[in-house]
Amino acid sequence: MKKIIPFLLSVAMILSFASCKKTTEKPDADKDKGTSIKDKSVVFVPKLTGNAFFESANDGAQKYSKKWGFTVDYQGSPNAAVTDQVQVINNAVASGADAICISSVDATGLDTALKQAIAKGMSVVTWDSDVSSDARSLMVSQGTPEILGKMLVDMGVDALKNRGVDVKTEAVKYAWHYSQATVADQNSWQVAGEKYIKETYPKWVNVAPSNYYSEQDAEKAVSIGSSILEANKDIDLIICNDSTALPGQCKAAQNKGLTKEDITITGFASPMSIKDYCTAGVIERWGLWDCGIQGAIGCYLAAYLSAGNSVKVGDKIDIPDIGEVEIMPNDVLVPGATTAAKNSGVVLLPERVVFTKDNMNNYNF
Amino acid sequence: MQNTNSGLVHFKSGFKNFKRWETVLAFILLFEFTIFSLASDKFTFSRMLLSINDIISILIISLFVTFVMVTGGIDIQAGSIVGLTSIIIGVAWQDAGMNIWGAVIVAVIVAALCGALSGFFVSYCGVQPMVVTLGGSFLYAGIALLISRASATESYKGISGFPESFTKISSFKLFDVIPNQLIIFLVLIVICYFLLHKTKYGRRVFLVGVNQRAAEFSGINSRLITLSTYVLSGIGASIAGIVLTAYLGTAKSDLGITFTLPIITAVVLGGTLSTGGKGSIMGTALAALVIGILRFGLPLSFGISTQYLDIPVGILLLTVIIGRSLAGNPRASMLFNKFFSKQKEAN
Repeated sequence: MKKIIPFLLSVAMILSFASCKKTTEKPDADKDKGTSIKDKSVVFVPKLTGNAFFESANDGAQKYSKKWGFTVDYQGSPNAAVTDQVQVINNAVASGADAICISSVDATGLDTALKQAIAKGMSVVTWDSDVSSDARSLMVSQGTPEILGKMLVDMGVDALKNRGVDVKTEAVKYAWHYSQATVADQNSWQVAGEKYIKETYPKWVNVAPSNYYSEQDAEKAVSIGSSILEANKDIDLIICNDSTALPGQCKAAQNKGLTKEDITITGFASPMSIKDYCTAGVIERWGLWDCGIQGAIGCYLAAYLSAGNSVKVGDKIDIPDIGEVEIMPNDVLVPGATTAAKNSGVVLLPERVVFTKDNMNNYNF
Repeated sequence: MQNTNSGLVHFKSGFKNFKRWETVLAFILLFEFTIFSLASDKFTFSRMLLSINDIISILIISLFVTFVMVTGGIDIQAGSIVGLTSIIIGVAWQDAGMNIWGAVIVAVIVAALCGALSGFFVSYCGVQPMVVTLGGSFLYAGIALLISRASATESYKGISGFPESFTKISSFKLFDVIPNQLIIFLVLIVICYFLLHKTKYGRRVFLVGVNQRAAEFSGINSRLITLSTYVLSGIGASIAGIVLTAYLGTAKSDLGITFTLPIITAVVLGGTLSTGGKGSIMGTALAALVIGILRFGLPLSFGISTQYLDIPVGILLLTVIIGRSLAGNPRASMLFNKFFSKQKEAN
């Protein structure tokens, strides 16, 4: 019994605090509705913190938001986990921010939390990795799965050609190495890329049809990378459509003394994170989009919507210092997805970049 | 003189009471509330109730893991059983066409069996609990991923569209205020409290933790008791998995992978000895709340970035554990007493 008393006491104290707090709470919903994005606060959420891709997206968002006059609050967890992101969202709602701009680790797992945020009067925009289309307003996408899947394969093809491989007639052995089987965007590129290979290069052989996963863990990416090389001594091409998997795979090849003449590695990662491997001759070309711009556009649109502006498919929004973007229907990303009449749709980034040793020093992310 | 003396006696007895761990935790909890409320008016009870989903899994599982740690074991597989439960519910309901409640029961049974398997290796094969449950955490997370492959839905999408009766578990609010999760948590506290502190079974769990050999000699089947605690923690993890799945509205195989350390932290901070034989349900419940509120309040009231929240939790755990072991150390308390008697002389 003695143990219950302190517990009950503390519960009583909590409740008394609650009751005196209630009176001072102001209604959140009645935020001023205007068309100015000035002084809005946007919570900018990465899949995980400490990853070059997301950190540079944040740098871009911070840089542009200062010019535009609203604040971007970077909040995330070191682990790429649904429950961690839900906690970040709930904290953002509790803190009374105006909008959320999030790259989701899960295709549907955040829906409940985000819908709750919308119900509390917040604007929700996704970037990089999407949620269900009814749980957000706009999605700032790096490209459709077809565009990106084809880009991944084509980068591999170009590098293979430079090695003197006849991609049309030879049975090129290849494998995919990325984060995990449960993440939406990377799997959709892999599926689209695989389809493109089947159609264009039917002779190619996928040595690991169930793919290799390193869960966005830098060390695991190296160890998985070396086991791929151990298990498939004669592999020609490894496609790493994940920004942690690619440097890990390069490191593994470098450790084994392999160069771009022995094996072709390609994928998506920031230029900075791969530069050293390119200089060392381990990798020839890889690609990405300007994630700083992507983060900035996402935050701008989030602030734009929270300022009371409404958009519909076909609208063109002029983003200062960046350019004009067009709202497209949701089914450009997911076939069959519906688009609501107002404040729903997809914005595609205008361009993607292939990096080689010639242009990699032109970027600061 | 007389006055100060009686004052000291009073202080000493107060200190003895203060030593009751649950009281200390209650004070820490109160301290957190005061600080956070004073620092920001954003920190309110109603907002905290909204965020209960973020800590409910850890609250629930740590209650059950207390049983394991009282026997001197450790359970680091509970997190992966959360994901396993979730995906079993999803696949059994969507792909096997089972009734949602049938699927829930299947998931709980599987979770209990997983606990039993690890418990068997620990108690009957004498393998270290840390090693067994580490293996278990990989095994069950792997099985969960395998099961998700059996579903028509790609594993990265998660199975959603559950009936409302199921999602009600996490969306129902008593009087439109008190979330159902809180009620579930309170009910589980009562159940676990009685099981561990008021029943013959609970006394046996403690005795096994204090001295397994002595427990054997007094006619207790200590192996079975040890095994049963792992079954309990498996069931606890499955309850958390059900609540979490209902809240997210999505069944995924990788839910709960980050729970392991917070769970162990809550149990240890709650006063359970990692060597076994000592611990309490109230302590665990309060400690889990202390951690949960710390993680909720720091970003809100002090604007600390969520990615650094592991630091204050780590500091809290270390300070408290070191402080407690110092207080329990006879030499340290002698120094403490000396200090006070010197002060008395000075008076």
